[in-house]
Amino acid sequence: MDKRGDSQTTFTGHGSEWKPSNLTPAEAQKATSWVEARIDRRSMLTNKDRVEDVRDIMWQLEKDGEIVVHRVGDVHKPVMARTLYGWEKKIPTTNLWQHKSCGQCGNIPGYPSSVFWLMNQLDVRYLDETDQTSCTAWNYHGSGIGNVVSLSAVFLRNFHQAYMSAKSQGLPVGTYYPLVHCGTSFGNYKEVRGFLLHSAKLREQVKQILGKLGRLVDGKLLIPEEIVHYSEWLHVMRDRIKERQVVDVSNIRATIHPACHVYKMVPEDVIYDDTVMEGNRVAVSTGLMQTLGANVIDYSTWYDCCGFGFRHIIGEREFTRSFAIDRKIKVAVDEAKADVMIGHDTGCITTLDKNQWIGKAVGKVYALPIMADCQFAALALGAHPYKLAQLHWHASPFETLLEKLGIDWQKAKVEFEKYLEEVKAGRIETLYDPKRAITSGPGYVKPQKAIAAPAGGAE
Amino acid sequence: MTAQMTAERPAISDPTSSKPVVPYEKLEQVFEDIRSHVLYDHELHGCLNCGICTATCPSAHYYDYSPREIVQLLWTENLEGIYDAMQEKIWACAQCYTCAARCPFQNSPGGLVMLMREVAIKHGMQSAKDVLRPFSRVLLKVISTGNQLAPNMITRDAFPDWGPNVTKIDAPLNILRKAIPVPTMHTMDTAWEVNLKTSVELYSIWEATGVLDQLEQVDENLFDVVNDVMDEKRDEYKEWLEEQAEAAE
Amino acid sequence: MNRPVLVVGGGPAGLSAAHALAAAGQRVVLVDKADRLGGAPILSGYAKLVPSGEWAKDAIGGMVKRVENSKLIDVRKNASVKSFTGGPGNFRATLTDGATVEASTTILCTGFTHFDSINKPEWGFGTYPDVVTTTQVEQMFSSGKGVRCPSDGREPERVAILLCVGSRDRQIGREWCSKICCTVSSNLAMEIREALPKCNVYIYYMDIRTFGLYEGQYYWESQEKYKVKYIKARIAEVTSDGKRLIVKGEDTLVKRPITIPFDMVVHAIGMDPNVDNMTLSAVFDVKLEKYGHIAKASTYANMSATSRPGVFVAGAATGPETIDDSIAQGQSAAMAALTAAQSAVSEAAE
Repeated sequence: MDKRGDSQTTFTGHGSEWKPSNLTPAEAQKATSWVEARIDRRSMLTNKDRVEDVRDIMWQLEKDGEIVVHRVGDVHKPVMARTLYGWEKKIPTTNLWQHKSCGQCGNIPGYPSSVFWLMNQLDVRYLDETDQTSCTAWNYHGSGIGNVVSLSAVFLRNFHQAYMSAKSQGLPVGTYYPLVHCGTSFGNYKEVRGFLLHSAKLREQVKQILGKLGRLVDGKLLIPEEIVHYSEWLHVMRDRIKERQVVDVSNIRATIHPACHVYKMVPEDVIYDDTVMEGNRVAVSTGLMQTLGANVIDYSTWYDCCGFGFRHIIGEREFTRSFAIDRKIKVAVDEAKADVMIGHDTGCITTLDKNQWIGKAVGKVYALPIMADCQFAALALGAHPYKLAQLHWHASPFETLLEKLGIDWQKAKVEFEKYLEEVKAGRIETLYDPKRAITSGPGYVKPQKAIAAPAGGAE
Repeated sequence: MTAQMTAERPAISDPTSSKPVVPYEKLEQVFEDIRSHVLYDHELHGCLNCGICTATCPSAHYYDYSPREIVQLLWTENLEGIYDAMQEKIWACAQCYTCAARCPFQNSPGGLVMLMREVAIKHGMQSAKDVLRPFSRVLLKVISTGNQLAPNMITRDAFPDWGPNVTKIDAPLNILRKAIPVPTMHTMDTAWEVNLKTSVELYSIWEATGVLDQLEQVDENLFDVVNDVMDEKRDEYKEWLEEQAEAAE
Repeated sequence: MNRPVLVVGGGPAGLSAAHALAAAGQRVVLVDKADRLGGAPILSGYAKLVPSGEWAKDAIGGMVKRVENSKLIDVRKNASVKSFTGGPGNFRATLTDGATVEASTTILCTGFTHFDSINKPEWGFGTYPDVVTTTQVEQMFSSGKGVRCPSDGREPERVAILLCVGSRDRQIGREWCSKICCTVSSNLAMEIREALPKCNVYIYYMDIRTFGLYEGQYYWESQEKYKVKYIKARIAEVTSDGKRLIVKGEDTLVKRPITIPFDMVVHAIGMDPNVDNMTLSAVFDVKLEKYGHIAKASTYANMSATSRPGVFVAGAATGPETIDDSIAQGQSAAMAALTAAQSAVSEAAE
């Protein structure tokens, strides 16, 4: 087990710093007197004869000829991570199909830009295309319009496209593995996959619909081996990201806001890492921030929702803003004295970022920069705050954070405004070749020759 | 000697309640719809009344709402209580699923709330229509394009409480969007560029799964608009397919 | 009656079985994997036991002495059984210290494992040093050090005890009740109040299962004499605001979410099946019941029997159990083993 700086000692958790408690072994004695490797202890105490791992059902269904599993294969260069009960989860690290978030792309463009940019930095191959629908879960949870059949059909339609998309480049099917950008999508897909694996009736209904759309594999439903969130990719790549770090973030006090739908939906499928807070809190984002050298500060409402509400942020915003300010932003500012709040989900970032300004109307003035873990990481690696991290779309005062990081945002702003002139003239810079974004249907241009197969071959 | 009625007997009325009386059959039907939902037994197993769900519920902090109460109403088959809860209470839930993550019986009160919302829509309850009225732009966008919030929907008029500027750089939206280095995002009326074929596939899914029927229940006008958009795109796609067929010959 | 009865495990059940057999003139080999006898009460440093209030080191310690002084009981410490063959009247056990035992019958008194709160990270154990378990509080008393906050050694002014940690929880696949934690917690609450008169103690519960005579002696007395407060709220999360631990629940009787600060939070941990049960099941070829405890072959008529003839079981090896009931089961199993051994002899004689 590799050690990572301060996270190997026990922390008091009290006060505003994480600091070692210097307890003697006797004082820190745990309930059981035997000592075993912590990671083994988790999986031994709550293993699969106590709690069901839905993937066991999945493999059995494939054996019975009911479904086909899209495997995480060698071509995806997977890294193993461990989840809440110590079970293993394969995280693909390259040849990724980008499952975009509608809220991110619409409202926080720097979010997906940062992910693509980081992937370019790390020579990770990916495909971002137009043949993708929203997961439709934000709408479902907000309005109740939708049902488990529509959610399942959308899920499998998108993941089928991910599976097939490589054909457009002359590569074997399954070469690209879907990476889910949004926390809501991630939670929704985890839940829905569980329903599908448990219910033959639901599978039958969805099969009929997908059959009509030509979205079956060998006449069967295609189910992904793992459902992977981009923050999990960031987590297993964090050391490689750190290698390219150029900005010192050791003076930054960061609070982490973990997204409800990331770690509370199907909680057994979420990464907990013994090198990150001894596995007592969700590992994603926290591990990355600690690896980059920032100070992750505990606060009393760590587990709380942000107040997004799915419906409330659109139609009952007094709830959203009250909750966001009172329970999260105020606590991060007053208790933790945070310089930034880091999130890993669209809804959370939107909620926390957009609901500070209104506080002035009632004397609740809190100024807390809000951004996604990937945006922060991109900045730490030298990305342009406006051209790449697209921070100008954020309402929260990211300028103060940039000042603390020693990044001249005023200069960057001027550069960006100059770039806008270039854009007006049609000279646009992109992170990948735009022609690759359409893989079929109107606008598709077949490549002249097949792109060379990636190292490691197909699955 | 008893008094004799001379005037016509008025209808029985309950002056203490301005709510119309809901017939028992309707109460039963509503509960039966919830109970027979394919996910009901998955989301509700029993209840220890431990209160962990309400403890962590963000809505319980701000509304007269408690997930434990919802579970108890369903578990004890309190038909009137369930019907009442479907008028306003179930819309307070913020769908965070902290309740589901922590419940020692592995219930999902948040999931049960979703089932109740679906049934409220199915029965055309006025409360559902009222609560979803501010959501109609989003409904239009998601059903017709598959995207939820488009860049040109984030305006000062729509979100005045989000601050004085949509962005901190003063430039036209279409230029700012083109200045995003991701090619699929050079769009204004969708979050990313959605392929026509993709939209048409999505329409088939909406139709086949009854989502359009739900929309019709909630907002008939919106339903008509969406149908027009869908027909238009389907025609467009059909034309494209015909062109491809001709080009192949 | 030449062959000894093999008793596996030297906790309350095993000590009781060994003594009962010896009292009847039967030779015993008592094996324990630890370096001391006494089981959980001694190894985990329990303080005052319920309901008598005797110190564990006296009550169980006395039982240990009795066994160690018996000429009929051969005690093997630091040893466990690594292989086991044969049938009733004629078993052969090989121990990890190299010795072999030819036994007539066997009684498994292998006990339980304390639940490890590492499996419930949201309740603060492992993140905050002032979140401790009932076992650790017992050790604070039995070591004479007193109840102090581990983080800075101060006397706590507000203590919360969370019941059902590791019990009654499908999230971690433990759907049982651990039977004794309600009584133990009420007991500890009274001891804390006695040791620290200025301290307020709250017990957060779903139900209070101080069964039988424990009701008056613990649930009522802890309130009446010691002003311990009971709140019907299972705690959802334990966090910290930098000054104190924050406990979050819903007071289900008042129907209101609550967020309360404490100096110390105590997990009333449950009784898990012994972590060695899979191994024990394989070595002794006995069945486990669905939660991983050693299965009893019958509920009423032959309650000490396992699925394998000649192998008996007693105490917390079968499920969460109190110390005094484990002792009773030890005697019951001793009786069953004795009669089985005698009938084996008389059969052989025919």
